[in-house]
Amino acid sequence: MRIVIGEDEALLRTGLTHVMQAAGFDVVASVGDAHELVRSAGEHLPDVVVTDIRMPPDHKDAGLRAALEIRREHPGIAVVVLSQHLQRAYAVELLGDGSSGVGYLLKQRIADIDTFTDDLRRVAAGGTVLDPEVVSLMVARARGHHDALDRLTPRQQQVLALMSEGRTNAAIARTLSITERAVVQHTSHIYDELDLALSDDDHRRVLAVIRYLSS
Amino acid sequence: MVSLALIGAFGAVVAGVEIALFAEQDVALWWLLALFPAGGCVHLAAGLEAWRRRPSNRTGPIMVIGALSWFVVALANTVTPVLVAVGVVLATTPLAVVVWLLHAFPSGRLRSRTSRLTVVGGFVVSLVLEVPGYLFDPGASPGGMLSVGHRADLLRAGTWLQRGAGIVVMLVTAGVLIDRLLTARPSQRGVLLPLYAYGILAVLATPLGPLLGPSAGLSVAQVVGLQIVLLAGVPVAFAVAMLRGGFARTAEIQELSAWLASSAATPEPLADALGRTLGDPSLQVVYASRDGRALVDGDGAPFDTSALGEHRGLVDIQLGSRRIGAVVYDATVIDDAELVRGAGQVAALAIDHDRLTAELRASHADLQQSRARLVEAGDRARQRIAQDLHDGLQVELVLLALEAQQLARLDGAADLPDAATRLRVGIDGAAQHLRGIVHALMPAALVERGLTAAIEDLVDRMPLPTRLAVAEVDGRLPATVERTAYFVVAEGLTNAVKHAAADTLTVTLEQAPARLVIGVSDDGVGGARQEGGAGLHGLADRVDALGGRFTIESPAGGGTHLVVELPCGS
Repeated sequence: MRIVIGEDEALLRTGLTHVMQAAGFDVVASVGDAHELVRSAGEHLPDVVVTDIRMPPDHKDAGLRAALEIRREHPGIAVVVLSQHLQRAYAVELLGDGSSGVGYLLKQRIADIDTFTDDLRRVAAGGTVLDPEVVSLMVARARGHHDALDRLTPRQQQVLALMSEGRTNAAIARTLSITERAVVQHTSHIYDELDLALSDDDHRRVLAVIRYLSS
Repeated sequence: MVSLALIGAFGAVVAGVEIALFAEQDVALWWLLALFPAGGCVHLAAGLEAWRRRPSNRTGPIMVIGALSWFVVALANTVTPVLVAVGVVLATTPLAVVVWLLHAFPSGRLRSRTSRLTVVGGFVVSLVLEVPGYLFDPGASPGGMLSVGHRADLLRAGTWLQRGAGIVVMLVTAGVLIDRLLTARPSQRGVLLPLYAYGILAVLATPLGPLLGPSAGLSVAQVVGLQIVLLAGVPVAFAVAMLRGGFARTAEIQELSAWLASSAATPEPLADALGRTLGDPSLQVVYASRDGRALVDGDGAPFDTSALGEHRGLVDIQLGSRRIGAVVYDATVIDDAELVRGAGQVAALAIDHDRLTAELRASHADLQQSRARLVEAGDRARQRIAQDLHDGLQVELVLLALEAQQLARLDGAADLPDAATRLRVGIDGAAQHLRGIVHALMPAALVERGLTAAIEDLVDRMPLPTRLAVAEVDGRLPATVERTAYFVVAEGLTNAVKHAAADTLTVTLEQAPARLVIGVSDDGVGGARQEGGAGLHGLADRVDALGGRFTIESPAGGGTHLVVELPCGS
């Protein structure tokens, strides 16, 4: 799996490169500037671009804008953006075009190497990965807007959160230590309650839930 | 006031004694003699009334001096030689006093050098040039006590010299008065012309009376009586003209203007100068607050107009269309509100100057305090960060270091992965703690996306349902405005969550021309005060530093509504 890294902190850039190489990924480029990231992605056409949001030249959200631009120009390239601080608006923007292969994680998640590399693989395969923190932010906010959420049982709410993070039924079952069958039952109940169209596609499922939470 | 009454009483006693003396002399024309002290009384009454009503106007005192001269002149008709002599020496001084009055009207002050010289000239004619009259005529004083012998030639020369000089004085006086008539306003001219004409006629009646009287078929007694009545009427006419003729204002205001022009050098309180001008020592000047609605005294304390006594009058002072203050006066001393208004208007600029000075002083004091509070707020913030780092993160790092050291002591490699993961999770926790501190100092969303995004993010994380309404805020605003607006909302929401016991919160952002209006409201218990918390006070100072407005409404039970306006040049 070929990866381009965008990170302006040299130490962290090196660290990320080592982690990914150790996990067996092929880091084809690592750059410290948003413009260079767009150019480099166009040149190498990697499977995944991993970038920090706050990047030169403006030290604002140049990394996020570079990621969105790469998505527009090369829909085949998956992007994972990292940030010190998660915002609902960024998640919505990233998922906004409805295309697959997007991730939005807290920067510190890279320390949990196994989970992180797993997330990268899922995104590269067209999956969606949202940080639990941003999901809980969205659910908490949506609770004020949709009464239906309060009608879900605590277990169903857990399942909804994991679905929103982009987990597969198998992963949800593993996390909650229940059977996949039970997960299917929970999800269908959630679909009924929230009046969502049933879909087996994990990515479409995330989009539908996120759209619901953001509405 | 007491001294005026004393003067009046003294005059009345003198007049009474004189009249009693004349009556006792048992002469046929004693009533004619009594006319002199009577004329003095008229002078005295007119003078005292003018003095009382317009203490700063010198017309009254001049008339009182005139009254004195009449009482003295009347002594010439007594039988006591010494008193008679005094009366003879000062015989024509009443005329000089009338000339003085003519020149000094209406303020009682001699305004020009010509006037001063003429008035002095009048007294020289009446006192010095009178000397030959009794010096060379033994018959003029009792037993010739003032005479050096009969010298008819010198006597005639002296008489003609006095007449000639008197005519010069009257011609110059007429010239001065004509000049004043020409420069007077038409409305004043109607009063001045008859007054001046009467004054001059009254003076001329003395030398001309004996010359013209007989040809008009009048007896000497009738001529003298007519002269006395004419002269006695002079102070009455002048007093009436001064008090009612519309000159009072101009005269006193001329004086006030002179004070204003010199006020830079003499920092006398404005109220004292106005009070002196209008003759009311109790007069007060109060100033309008910045919005013009409330009144405050010179120290900035609120002035309650409803607590005024019934004899206190109040006149608003305007500058342009703006109320800048008011004059409070004693309505029993000054019965004409227009007079106060006129004087107040003349002093309007000075009143506004005083008001602005008071305002400037107050805002300077405010500024000093707010600067001190800003510095304190900065120190407090630093102290809080230090405390957060010291109590939280530092302790966490020490514990993590201990945990890392324990990894080195693990015997069995089997436990190592779990221990290492625990360490990593601990470090994650410390990192999260650090992120929280950094975020509180400078929120990422504010740096990356600006105000609206940052407030959306803030609202997303509220533990209470929070409504956000943003109108017309597009693009980035100046960094200081964005940060201040953000911290206003953050502090407002934090306070609402902590203290208001509210169910829902509302945040509004609206960009009006050249300013940003920020509102934070809750439906809680109310009762919040700007002075209450360091947080709100600090915010108010921040807003003030940017030239904005900070208002908080928090009626008990009515929720808290914070509105902040910040100027932003767009």
